Amino acid sequence: MTTLAAQQQFLLDALLAWPAANAINNIAIHTIDTRARGLKVYQANGHALAQSALLAAYPVFAQLLGEESFADLARALWHAQPPTRGDVGCWGEGLAAFLHSSAQLEDEPYLPDVVRVEWALHQCGGAPDADPDLATLALLTTQEPEHLQLHLSPGSAVLRSAWPVASIVGAHLEGSPSLQEAGAQLRRAEAQDTVVWRAGLRPRARLALTGEHDALRAMLQGQSLAQALDAAPELDFGQWLPLAVQSGLVLSAHAAGAEPVPT
Amino acid sequence: MPRPATQGPQQRVGDVDTVGIGWRYHHYGELLERRPALAFLEVHSENFFALGGAALAVLEQGRAHYPVSLHGVGLSLGSAAGLDTWHLDQLARLVQRIDPVRVSDHACFARGTFQGRMVHAADLLPIPFTTEALDVLCAHVNQVQDRLRRPFMVENLSAYLRWNASDAERVWSETEFLTALARRTGCCLLVDVNNIYVNALNAQIRFGDTVEPMQSCRDWLDAIPREVVGEIHLAGHCHVNDEHGEIVVDDHGSRVCREVWDLYRHAIARFGAVPTLMEWDTDVPALDVLLDEAQRARALAALVLGGAQRLSAPTASAGALA
Repeated sequence: MTTLAAQQQFLLDALLAWPAANAINNIAIHTIDTRARGLKVYQANGHALAQSALLAAYPVFAQLLGEESFADLARALWHAQPPTRGDVGCWGEGLAAFLHSSAQLEDEPYLPDVVRVEWALHQCGGAPDADPDLATLALLTTQEPEHLQLHLSPGSAVLRSAWPVASIVGAHLEGSPSLQEAGAQLRRAEAQDTVVWRAGLRPRARLALTGEHDALRAMLQGQSLAQALDAAPELDFGQWLPLAVQSGLVLSAHAAGAEPVPT
Repeated sequence: MPRPATQGPQQRVGDVDTVGIGWRYHHYGELLERRPALAFLEVHSENFFALGGAALAVLEQGRAHYPVSLHGVGLSLGSAAGLDTWHLDQLARLVQRIDPVRVSDHACFARGTFQGRMVHAADLLPIPFTTEALDVLCAHVNQVQDRLRRPFMVENLSAYLRWNASDAERVWSETEFLTALARRTGCCLLVDVNNIYVNALNAQIRFGDTVEPMQSCRDWLDAIPREVVGEIHLAGHCHVNDEHGEIVVDDHGSRVCREVWDLYRHAIARFGAVPTLMEWDTDVPALDVLLDEAQRARALAALVLGGAQRLSAPTASAGALA
């Protein structure tokens, strides 16, 4: 290892190890930094950034946890799973798995699923843009479903949970349902599927209709409309399609196997 | 859609000089609505690495009305572990999409291994001013310039610790180090005046340096060749004195202090009318406060230059310095 690489290794160890006592002793040999004061500035920067970055991705989870616990958790995640990219907006994907392994949160088993929905929203917000092409929906009247695919909005996702996560996220981000209703559903341990999509530039999440999870999952896997409908016999397609188009979830239709034409 | 080439650094919005502001999300809507006269907007490149979405749409709206300077915080140019090609690819795509007036990052590192994994510490960590570090930094700046196919700018850091050097290592002064970087790569330097002052204060407070801070800063500025300076940054800082001891932190969270304004005057007198950025990143105030700081920089530059010299930005030129 070169001198430069060794110096940088010592500093990274001192900043990311937790607790950091040994690493701080090691870095003290290589720097002029009385009482490690400078190192504490960098550590504080990292912890503040961890909290703000995690808050940007997980605003609902932050509310559920409370400010103090959220700050502690952000710091713990920062040291357990440091960023791997220079874009801190990419950091935090491992939170759900981290929560699963947390003994302190065993009594809140719905939190990992809330976090998964929020990460899907976070990813959806930066997905490649795509414009609707509603005229292509006329293909639905002239082509057989096995020859058609529906093009969903950027970053669309469906998530299945044993908990009412769609209601929990909706209550905090959209005010619907009420927090009281979401709390009642949580006490009843209601299972819910959540649809994530982008309405224009705005990431949205809502409770999935009956059968919608399976249909959307098939569509997201690139299957034809016929296969999607076969996978979801409970879905009322006539009711769903206008809702999906109006809300921006479905952008266009195109021949199966062909990419939608960019607009 | 790729944008046609613009007029370059001299492009103006209205009859204004070279002063721009850091454009943060707090002011996205208000700035687009009011469109104050500014020479450019600066944004942090990494905040716009997404492939689509609202942030990128807002930036494109801003770009329709102003030149945009892309200022990065994550390239980790001084890392012995090498550049992250993913990061460079994102930056290259953004540069192609936005056609920025300038592109820059810092003389620092953040990337390396931790517990066997490649990590990024998400901070601007200091590099030693050694020949080995200079070689690494130059190689990476060249790699960036080759990829972006345009000149790049590198900013001096505020650093909170100093590296010890072994007896065998040549240790350059920071100004020698940065000048050599510019000479060897053709990049320009982005001179952050507040960083120089923060370092000088900490040198006195923390490391017992005996040179008076303002004189130290003036010496720093005088040691940088004027032709390599492509932009100046101004910002606020704070003094922290807690159980760990006293230190000055470059937090970009307040107005520019009197001493930094005095140093800006010195910098403008030495470097001429280079583009100047007013940064404010924490406790971001009302837009009018930021515009007021920008106006102060504008007025000070005009005063120093006596109004005789039409304010214009030097064009960063790799070839001219190579």
